[in-house]
Amino acid sequence: MDLRAGDSWGMLACLCTVLWHLPAVPALNRTGDPGPGPSIQKTYDLTRYLEHQLRSLAGTYLNYLGPPFNEPDFNPPRLGAESLPRATVNLEVWRSLNDKLRLTQNYEAYSHLLCYLRGLNRQAATAELRRSLAHFCTSLQGLLGSIAGVMAALGYPLPQPLPGTEPAWAPGPAHSDFLQKMDDFWLLKELQTWLWRSAKDFNRLKKKIQPPAAAVTLRLEAHGF
Amino acid sequence: MAFSVVLQKAFLLALLSLRAYQNEVFDEPIQLVPEVQNVSTSSKPQQVNLQWTVPNLAHHQELKMMLQIEISRIKTSNVIQVVNYTTTVKWNQVMHWNWKPDIPLECVKYFLRIRGMVDDDKFLLQSSWSNWSSWQEAHIPVSLEPNTVLVFPEDPLVEEGSNITICSVYGRNQHNVSCYLQEKPIPGEQLDSHVSIFNLNNVVFFRDTGTNFFCNSIDTKLEDGIVLFVSKVLEEPKNFSCETQDFKTLNCIWEPGVDTALAWKQQPPQNYTLFESFSGRRKLCNKSSCDWQITDDSQEIYNFTLIAKNYLRTRSVSVSFHLTHRVYLKAPHNVSLEIINTTKAHMTWKVHSRGNDYTLLCQIELLCEKEVIHEHNVSVHMSGDYLFNDLDPDTEYKASVRCADATHFWKWSNWAEKTFSTPEAAPSEALDVWRIVRSKNGSRIVTLFWKPLSKSRANGKILFYNIVAENQDKPAKSKHCSIPAPASDTQLTLDQSSYKLHITANNSVGMSPETILVLSRESGNQEVVEKRINGTKDGFLISWEPRSRDVISYIVDWCAHSQNQLCDLQWKNLGPNTTSTIISSDAFKPGVRYNFRIFEIPVQGPVYLVEKQTGYTQELAPLESPEVLTSNLTSHSFTLSWQGYASQFQAGFIQGYRVYLKSKEMHCHSGWDKVLLSDNSVCCNYDIKDPKQKIFTVENLRPESDYEFSVRSYTSVGENQNATFMMVTTPDEHSHMLLKTMLPMSLCVLLIMVVCYWKSQWVKETCYPDIPNPSKSSILSPIKYMQNPHLTIMNVKDCIPDVLEVINKAEGTKTLYTGAGKLHAENVTKLPPVPTEKDSCGPVPCIFFENFTYDQLAFDSDSHGHVPGPLKDILCQLGPLTPPKNLLNVLGNSNMKSLTGSPTEETSLIYVSQLASPTCGDKDSLTTNLPRPVHCSEYKMQMAVPPSLASPALSKNSDLSSMILLGKGEP
Repeated sequence: MDLRAGDSWGMLACLCTVLWHLPAVPALNRTGDPGPGPSIQKTYDLTRYLEHQLRSLAGTYLNYLGPPFNEPDFNPPRLGAESLPRATVNLEVWRSLNDKLRLTQNYEAYSHLLCYLRGLNRQAATAELRRSLAHFCTSLQGLLGSIAGVMAALGYPLPQPLPGTEPAWAPGPAHSDFLQKMDDFWLLKELQTWLWRSAKDFNRLKKKIQPPAAAVTLRLEAHGF
Repeated sequence: MAFSVVLQKAFLLALLSLRAYQNEVFDEPIQLVPEVQNVSTSSKPQQVNLQWTVPNLAHHQELKMMLQIEISRIKTSNVIQVVNYTTTVKWNQVMHWNWKPDIPLECVKYFLRIRGMVDDDKFLLQSSWSNWSSWQEAHIPVSLEPNTVLVFPEDPLVEEGSNITICSVYGRNQHNVSCYLQEKPIPGEQLDSHVSIFNLNNVVFFRDTGTNFFCNSIDTKLEDGIVLFVSKVLEEPKNFSCETQDFKTLNCIWEPGVDTALAWKQQPPQNYTLFESFSGRRKLCNKSSCDWQITDDSQEIYNFTLIAKNYLRTRSVSVSFHLTHRVYLKAPHNVSLEIINTTKAHMTWKVHSRGNDYTLLCQIELLCEKEVIHEHNVSVHMSGDYLFNDLDPDTEYKASVRCADATHFWKWSNWAEKTFSTPEAAPSEALDVWRIVRSKNGSRIVTLFWKPLSKSRANGKILFYNIVAENQDKPAKSKHCSIPAPASDTQLTLDQSSYKLHITANNSVGMSPETILVLSRESGNQEVVEKRINGTKDGFLISWEPRSRDVISYIVDWCAHSQNQLCDLQWKNLGPNTTSTIISSDAFKPGVRYNFRIFEIPVQGPVYLVEKQTGYTQELAPLESPEVLTSNLTSHSFTLSWQGYASQFQAGFIQGYRVYLKSKEMHCHSGWDKVLLSDNSVCCNYDIKDPKQKIFTVENLRPESDYEFSVRSYTSVGENQNATFMMVTTPDEHSHMLLKTMLPMSLCVLLIMVVCYWKSQWVKETCYPDIPNPSKSSILSPIKYMQNPHLTIMNVKDCIPDVLEVINKAEGTKTLYTGAGKLHAENVTKLPPVPTEKDSCGPVPCIFFENFTYDQLAFDSDSHGHVPGPLKDILCQLGPLTPPKNLLNVLGNSNMKSLTGSPTEETSLIYVSQLASPTCGDKDSLTTNLPRPVHCSEYKMQMAVPPSLASPALSKNSDLSSMILLGKGEP
């Protein structure tokens, strides 16, 4: 929705639209509506499940890359993986994130990571590994959907990808296979860190959303009123 | 301008021709100097490409030249390689020469120069090497920052087992760089201040994602790395062959060997190309097979080359053949079978042939139960047929046929199969029958056994067995019975007549030839001596002496389970000329006795028992020890016997018994041996060598001694080990004397006691009356007379009272007894109660005997002697009576009523009265003390006591006489 400051007609149209959609917003549908709590809980559970699933997948994939990538203390420089969304963030910054930003960052990160992961799947040489990766991609797609559901429940809009920023899995001719392996390593590592962070994010969100009465306030805030 | 160019070219041409002419004339070598046009490098793959020309060649001239290229590394003076090669150079043509550097081009500089020499026969003149071209540098520059480390070549692809040199270039701030192949540190060779090289020899394939080579700086920080892709060595295709089934397509197959594909498209799987040289056609195939379309029917000979190729290597294999020599026919079709009869079947089939001109060879197989029983080859053109003979009736067969080209055999076609079954026929063989005959109640019980016919003889499913017992004496009494299959025995009860038994097996088509057994009046079980034979693990060798010449056959029979009730009769039918056979069976077990009987089946006459033989396949030590009974135990001997020991059921022929005797003294008498047992105990042993002797007397023993004995049977293998010792103690030497005296004495005492008991009343009355009556006491009288001839009557003065009780109150309810447990037989002398009624006793004390016994049995049986007077009288005599508490409790109220109740109930009580004449005291004195004669009778106080209480009371009472007298009552 494109709103311009001072455009009273636009504001009115926006208000009308919001009012029109109010019955559809789960946060306001009070008749037997449990609120966003359960969907946050489910998303939290899904992140924990994906953490577990990734642990197995990463082990297999890093063995496939061979030493030193499968060594436990291996920590290569983040050469070609700069485009990957970073999960690590200063603790104070993380605490100060509001719910919308927190969810948006999660959504954007998994959108990118999923795209990279699909590229990884295309490159995999063995059929079994491709199956495992495809299964994980499906699960990750589910997590993305869950985050989108939580955001919708809380009334936050989904972030729109900027044109030209769509991540592409194109190693390019200059990209050596060794660097490619390092990128793969970092993709899995970053994914793991993101899942760990998301569990923390949703746990925090879950506790915060516990009193369902706050849902209306959140919704209004989300629409920028 | 154009004119000048043309003129210039013409001039040069003339000059060259002139020079050539001059060379020929002046015999000078031609100097053709190659000129390097360009040196290009590529990183992946590492390669230097040298482009050169020979500029001073004549127009359209072609020359064969020898070239020499010199390669230096780092500096021109450091020549590392000189390459010679020959090529044909053309006018105005740029020549290419590729070279693969050993050290990556990013790490070192290479310098190349070239020179040439004409090596062509057309030039007869002597030629020499030209001058060198100028040095050309080959190098790939890299941008290197002071803190970086770079590794080259980038992702190289090598074959397994080859060598490769990897180099690392590092900036000026980097020192002590360590490099690793996977986890293994690789020592480097410092080429110059910022280049190290690493020689990897005989590289090994680890995985299709390559082997990681990487370098760390001193602080173990990963700087750079490469992936060394090691490809497996491409193998030559094996067993490459082509064949056709339909002359339209050639199907070529081969075994491809290992897959050399690598991940991330570093190397795709090797490809296979089929090339036919005559037609010049080429086809890309899949991994292990290729279908080649025959487009030209006239082409008969093919020359195929199979080329396998990957990035690193090419392998090829060729095969050449005539098309008709590689014909792999399709399996025959339209296979059909016609069943002619029970033993014949006719098979027909068609083949895929190119026409009648081609002869095919077909192979026919007949299978029965998955085994080939018949095989035959026939030549056919378009179709074939075959007749199967000698088939078994009622059998399922599988007929198979396959064909091949008869002229140029290449390969059999697949089998074409057809299953068929022959119909049933009558059984073809007579049953093997044997019998057991037993006599019972004047008739014979004949148990017939027969062996089921084999499948090949039954010719179908046997439905029943027919048995006809033909009475030879009275044909009218013949019997017939039909036994349904699958029975293998039956029982017939026949009289003592001669019988001929006809036994046949029947299936749905007919019956088998009959088996005839003759049963004569004689039993045929003659008594013959049993002979012992030694078997082996393979069986028993049975031999016998023939009795007569006219013998149909001999039969040896035995029981498979001789120790069981079920005999499981086995027999073996042998020809008339046989006098020995080996009986073997898997059922034979060691330690089991088998009894064999050999019968002769004569042409005429009854079956005759020729011999009995018995033996073991392997004798064992007896498993069962004799059960020994001891008898005749004296102070010096005892007898052992084990008559019940069944020696015929032991694990070997019993050869005797060993008696073991243990005693403290350990002295063995003659005939005994001292032996050491397995438990290291010493004992005496006596060997009984006669197995029939089952009794033995152990003698020369000491009286009053303990002996342990054991009897063990033994066979040729040994004695049974599980026998236990039993203890026997010899008695005292005089004990028998004591027994001889004590027994009669005891009998005498017992007799006296019986007599006393029987005549107890008489004895009592005679010897010890309650109230002695001088007139009656006939026995005591003489004694008394003897003691005191003056006294004829017992005086009251002579009575010494035991207890005196003075009762002052007439209405006392005092109970007089001395104890609950001693109610019987207590003779207490008391003062009588004071009488209160007229007819009661006077106040004069009188002496009386009190007896508390009341016998309930007497009441129950109505066998009382006499009925006493009314209870009132008794009460009068005894005064108020309170029953003993303990008895009250036991008896209850009913019994008390009988004592204190109304007079009508009195009759229910039966008293064994001890009433006697009033002789309690001196008559005279009594009369003086009493105003009138008092019936101061002595009453035995009667009380009801149940028998259960009476008995223990009796047993506790030591006064036997009283018990006997009162308990049984008056006679």
